[in-house]
Amino acid sequence: MTVIFLTSAEFWADQFVNGMTTGSIYALIALGYTMVYGVLQLINFAHGEVFMIGAFAGYGVLVSMGGDDISGGMIALALVLALIAASAASMVTAVAIERIAYRPLRNAPRLAPLISAIGVSVMLSHLVDDGFLSGRSKFYPTIFPAGNLDLGPLSVSYLQLFLMVSSFAMMMGLWWFIQRTKLGRGIRAVAEDRDNASLMGIDVNRAIVVTFALGAIMAGMAGVLYGLFFTSIRGSMGFVPGVKAFTAAVLGGIGSIQGAVIGGYFLGLTETIGRELLNEIPGVNLPNQWKDVVAFSLLVLVLIFRPNGIFGKVETKRA
Amino acid sequence: MRDRGMWSKWTWLMALVALVAVLAVACSGDDDDDDGGDTGGSGFTDAGYKTAGLDQAKVVTYDAEIPIGISSALTGDTAGLGIPIADSAEAAGDGVTIKGHAIKWVREDDLCTPEGGPAAADRLIKAKVVAAVGPICSGGTRAALKTFDDAGITHISPSATAGDLTSPTRAEGPYVTFFRVPVLNSDEAKAQAKFAHDTLGAKKAFVVFDTDDYGKDLAAEFQKYFKEDGGEIVGTPAGYEKKTTDFKSIIANIKDAKPDVIYQAGFYAEATPFLTQLRAEADLKEIPYIGGDGIKNDELITGAKAAADGAYLALPGTTGSQFDTYKDKFAKLFKGDADTATFGAEAYDAATAIIKALEKVAVEKDGKIEVDLKKLNEAIKDSNFEGASGKIEFGDNGNRAGGVVRFFKVEGGKYVQLEAGKK
Repeated sequence: MTVIFLTSAEFWADQFVNGMTTGSIYALIALGYTMVYGVLQLINFAHGEVFMIGAFAGYGVLVSMGGDDISGGMIALALVLALIAASAASMVTAVAIERIAYRPLRNAPRLAPLISAIGVSVMLSHLVDDGFLSGRSKFYPTIFPAGNLDLGPLSVSYLQLFLMVSSFAMMMGLWWFIQRTKLGRGIRAVAEDRDNASLMGIDVNRAIVVTFALGAIMAGMAGVLYGLFFTSIRGSMGFVPGVKAFTAAVLGGIGSIQGAVIGGYFLGLTETIGRELLNEIPGVNLPNQWKDVVAFSLLVLVLIFRPNGIFGKVETKRA
Repeated sequence: MRDRGMWSKWTWLMALVALVAVLAVACSGDDDDDDGGDTGGSGFTDAGYKTAGLDQAKVVTYDAEIPIGISSALTGDTAGLGIPIADSAEAAGDGVTIKGHAIKWVREDDLCTPEGGPAAADRLIKAKVVAAVGPICSGGTRAALKTFDDAGITHISPSATAGDLTSPTRAEGPYVTFFRVPVLNSDEAKAQAKFAHDTLGAKKAFVVFDTDDYGKDLAAEFQKYFKEDGGEIVGTPAGYEKKTTDFKSIIANIKDAKPDVIYQAGFYAEATPFLTQLRAEADLKEIPYIGGDGIKNDELITGAKAAADGAYLALPGTTGSQFDTYKDKFAKLFKGDADTATFGAEAYDAATAIIKALEKVAVEKDGKIEVDLKKLNEAIKDSNFEGASGKIEFGDNGNRAGGVVRFFKVEGGKYVQLEAGKK
């Protein structure tokens, strides 16, 4: 395709890396959606806000450790503490939401927990946005050491590298947990058939809480990574990444962990590269916001061909 | 499962794609049409006075205090600009009484949005304000022009700079109830283009802008003047919406276009992540950056820290003989720093213009105050005094007569004013 070479290879390599970094964040958040759906058949609309809370918790830790003045060895410590604080805060938020807004509605008609989720989402985002911040943004300290790794046309900043590597590590960690531990097996059992799982002696409630906790940890850490990378955080920041991550989860096959990951990267890449590709066509100049149009159009297309998503399993019928 | 409808799902899909393609092409070209507004053009007309109900006397009466409105962004990401502006306007009323009656300042939040502008105007009109300072943003002002005009309430904006606000597309000409103090986008852009081309020696500029009224207008004006000066706009000017945090795509385009200078027309809430992400790229660390008045704010420096160093910011307007008085009052009443409050001096002057006009036309009667809105409007139009931002005088379309643009550079975490022609 001669069209691609209108702009340089470096440009496309840059956009590829951008797509992979955004994709990592979507993938991390998508994992939470897919797992909760797997065990509860519930779309946790408040998950975006869990992500937001993580971002702010990390921000709080970094600021209290000196903000932009953190340097040298302290940076690593600060980052680790921020990630831990974010995971903890997100986990508490998610588990609380599950207890208060979802569990009482476990046997209610399917719409009830869905509406409840939307309500919690709106309440949390506005509480932080209007209630605490008067609609303003906060800015993450930029403490990550600058510098690039150059491999031919590819130029990756250390921060991008850190983001991609740590996301990948978290996903691997999650995968190991789900596949190899007893709790993980319990979660998989509940996802497959909740009633039989409880008959088998699995503590269903505990499995569900752990599911929420795991998804929240992923989202919380994604929040810190987002803050480090994009700098600006606000109370309403969870909405758009939340929708996109949910979309990614559906794209990959809701309920499937590999699906969430693949979906996340797919969405990140199409969002970044898709619009640029179209802009290569002479006469076409789509403004920045069109990247969402491009990405979601592709989503619709994929679903038309594969309604269950890429890795989707057909939902088992419940008696 | 075959669809039994008139068209199969494939035909619908193709129809939809075709529709979207048509929309995309139709909508993508319009960034360049905007020529910026006329700054001259027609003046106030009799028909204009008629629509405002100010072609005849219109007397309002107040028992005790005289309410003056302030429409500004009190929450949201522009509050960093909006709150100091509102405070500065109030500072003008320090110790002032009109024929023995005190002033009551009524603040309403216009959010710096086209939705918030009319809503705040409505609330102010309901509070029976005699006149108002604001709205502060071009988009909000444009939407609120009619609201104020319908009620016959004169308002003076300290910071709305889009050209066409004083040359609206209506037969009756400019809104007689609208005046403004700041230098316009066209003047600011002209000075910025000259600065970029002559002082910085840049031949190629990459333009980034907020897609709201102010940003779009300012960016269009800059492109026009930069090209007139002999410069070239490289790449495609990149628009972004408010609240955007992800500028990576745009930055990759900047890297590709290799400009000599980067120009941003917008607000500090987006400029902060933009600058941070821009300077994170090794290739783009040294390229000069010029920002407009919506970006010059303390929050840019606290948010972007090192990334803001070396940035050039333009501020339309100058300091006038009353600046120190304003500075003292501002510090005394609100602990504000007049040197960093963008458009603070203009807000102070806008409020002063209202106060002086009131002193001229307000009539005391049986312990009450009567104000003829028509006379008040005329008195404001005829304003002629030395203010905190220079001489205050209005042209026959509501624009401020005369205007200067100053440049600042961020050095060591502070704004340093540059001498004319220096960088």
